[in-house]
Amino acid sequence: MYRLGAAAALRHAAVSLAGAAAPFITVAVLWQAFAMYGPFPPRLFPGVDKIVATFVRLTFNGILPTHALATLARLGIAFAIGAVVGVLIGMLMGRSRWAEQLLLPVVSVGNPIPGLAYAPLFVIWFGLGNLPAVLLVAFAATFPIAVNTWSGVRAVKEIWIRAAESMGAQERQLFRSVVLPAALPYVLTGLRLGLARAWRVLVAVEMLTAVGFGLGWLIFGAREFLNTDVMLAGLAMIGIVGLTLEKLVFERLERYTVVRWGMMTR
Amino acid sequence: MSPLGILLSFGLSAVAWEIFARSGMLPAAITPSVFAIGAAVGRMVLNGTLFVHIGYTMFRIVVGLALALAVGVPIGMLMGRFRPAERFTLPLVSVLSPIPSLAWVPLFILWFGLGNAASIALVFYAATFPVILNTWTGVKSVNRIWVRSAESMGAGDRAVFRRVVLPGSLAFIIAGLRQAFARAWIAVVGGEMIAATSWGLGWVIFDSKEYLNTDVMLGSLLVIGALGLLIERLVFQMLEHRTVGRWGMVKTVRT
Repeated sequence: MYRLGAAAALRHAAVSLAGAAAPFITVAVLWQAFAMYGPFPPRLFPGVDKIVATFVRLTFNGILPTHALATLARLGIAFAIGAVVGVLIGMLMGRSRWAEQLLLPVVSVGNPIPGLAYAPLFVIWFGLGNLPAVLLVAFAATFPIAVNTWSGVRAVKEIWIRAAESMGAQERQLFRSVVLPAALPYVLTGLRLGLARAWRVLVAVEMLTAVGFGLGWLIFGAREFLNTDVMLAGLAMIGIVGLTLEKLVFERLERYTVVRWGMMTR
Repeated sequence: MSPLGILLSFGLSAVAWEIFARSGMLPAAITPSVFAIGAAVGRMVLNGTLFVHIGYTMFRIVVGLALALAVGVPIGMLMGRFRPAERFTLPLVSVLSPIPSLAWVPLFILWFGLGNAASIALVFYAATFPVILNTWTGVKSVNRIWVRSAESMGAGDRAVFRRVVLPGSLAFIIAGLRQAFARAWIAVVGGEMIAATSWGLGWVIFDSKEYLNTDVMLGSLLVIGALGLLIERLVFQMLEHRTVGRWGMVKTVRT
């Protein structure tokens, strides 16, 4: 009996694993066929075997991890700056009419401008290298965070504030125990959007500001030598990092805070 | 938000910029005054180049978005209606979607050459995933009861699709198109900078950098911001208002 159960479980696991791998295998086969029989020469469109080999080689000699770490470090610093500035601006705009009147129009016009469009200006202002890259990414991340924090603070139910006030809550207590937790789902959405935007801008900025290390730079540099296998290996690494950010950082963050407090269901 | 407040807000920002520009903290050549920026935009309007740049950028955006809709909506529909399609496509989408579209630029340049094709391919890549994901969510969110009641009143598969599923998911599809536009807008500006052609709002910024024409750069930036906001406000809000808003499926606010 037990044996049968184990075998069934094993078979079930194998089937679901095959199901998960099937789309990727199909795409790999199609890619390989296109690389072999398509219009592009192999130098421009390398086969899957070559990409995988390059990926493994670059991972084990430490090149890909170094570039990925440089990109992640830049992302972390820039996002931290953007998060602090964005939340502060958003809170200020949500709590004070004056700040709202002054800042909201500027923020709503600045929000839809692609951060990357500023890149040449930032290069002129701050030179090449890390400084303009980090500042630009922080700048791009600030807008969605500020806008969402603002709407979060504005969305706090008036009744909660009045109830807390009638029970004798001070201004600071009110802020810490009512406004902040109530606005947090919005703030988290803003942080999520901000990080996503920072990530998208960062890879492109690394191409433009000539940083020494970074996944964007790796891809851009590899183009000069027609190393399409290196470029695609770099893209694969970017995909892995992006997916990890999405799965590990965001979904966890949400589960541990707002879902646990019963403010959102998943 | 009163018009006076908006005016005051922009006026104060302009004054703050002017003070910063004239303070000498950075050389005057790289922090042009408000008047120089205005003059640069005026010049581009008068000699007509601004409209050519806008035309090229819009052409790339519209073609890329149209392709993204043509590919993304059917895929999203299939994913929403058939489990196997969902199981096959979803892992691919969730792996490809977090790759920033601009990371593909160098490769697209090699594959499609410099110019329109690379930029359009980039817009297509940036825009397709939001369309797919939102269409899929939209189809899944169509109320079961609507489908069943249509079926019990004798609607065939095609009628159910055209009369119930498509309108029922349209609110999500439009939201997806909006997201797609926001992403495409970023992609097209970045793409034009790197996959340099000779026209386009992104290209003009990058090109002006070579000659240190910071007034043209800041002027084009303002145009990009204003145009993005205008399209978002006019086109998408109107689209929403005319369709799903009028059918009473979502509340639209006109601003």
